[in-house]
Amino acid sequence: SWEPLPHWDSARWCDLCEALCLQLVDIQWKLGMAVSSDTCRSLNCPYVMVMLKVADPSGQICQKSFEMTIPQFQNLHSHFKDIAAVMETV
Amino acid sequence: MATVVTAEHFSNLQLLLKAPSKDAVREVCVQSHQGPSRIFTENTAAKFNISPSQAAQLVESLHTLSRHVVFHNLTSPEQILALFPESFHSSLKNLITKILLENSATWRTEALSNQISLPQLKEMDWRVDLVTSSESVSRMAVPTCLLQLKMEDTRCRHDEAVSTVTMELSRESLDTMLDGLGRIRDQLSVVAGK
Repeated sequence: SWEPLPHWDSARWCDLCEALCLQLVDIQWKLGMAVSSDTCRSLNCPYVMVMLKVADPSGQICQKSFEMTIPQFQNLHSHFKDIAAVMETV
Repeated sequence: MATVVTAEHFSNLQLLLKAPSKDAVREVCVQSHQGPSRIFTENTAAKFNISPSQAAQLVESLHTLSRHVVFHNLTSPEQILALFPESFHSSLKNLITKILLENSATWRTEALSNQISLPQLKEMDWRVDLVTSSESVSRMAVPTCLLQLKMEDTRCRHDEAVSTVTMELSRESLDTMLDGLGRIRDQLSVVAGK
């Protein structure tokens, strides 16, 4: 289950991650266009949907789905490029 | 939920003629868009010197009209004026139209951000660690990424709204992620170009 953490606490989070040893095992994504809704007949709203599968050491899989607006997606992409750059140099 | 504005709705809107001021009309139009509330209806009844049931009908009619304007994205005065019956009080019609136009952009933005959706990604925090040894390998230098994503479901109760997912990414997972994100970016360019 997903435990809400009250705030970003680096050391505690690292302990939690190590304790849980959750590994990302699968990523699925979809780029969609919202065309209409009960409040707006005509939308032209792209969004990105992502589903992550995470496994614990026993192999039990949990999945989490979320959506992003395009600016949120671009921010996410930018973060991952930063991570890759760091992992390259480390 | 209804977006059809009926003759009866317009008939109820004429109760606005009892408003003490133009600002009172503006206030009741804006408040009604959010939906009915007992306190608001009672205050309106007192302010306009009408019965609570008349106030409730007025609020409901304004709500239906403003939702209709947002649903159909009516952005010009002509489009909104055309909704009113011929016999409708002319000055009141112009005032209501003006108020609806003043607010419709804000209301549409609110509607867009309150759509049904999955939880939205709000924050991403990460750290890259170098794993230097393990129980099976005494010396190594393997970078690994610790990642935390914070999601928010704005339609949930406050205490249930935020959830986090925390995970470790290997280099391979990261490459897969980047590959997927790159494809999304490419698709977005295709869609934007159309």
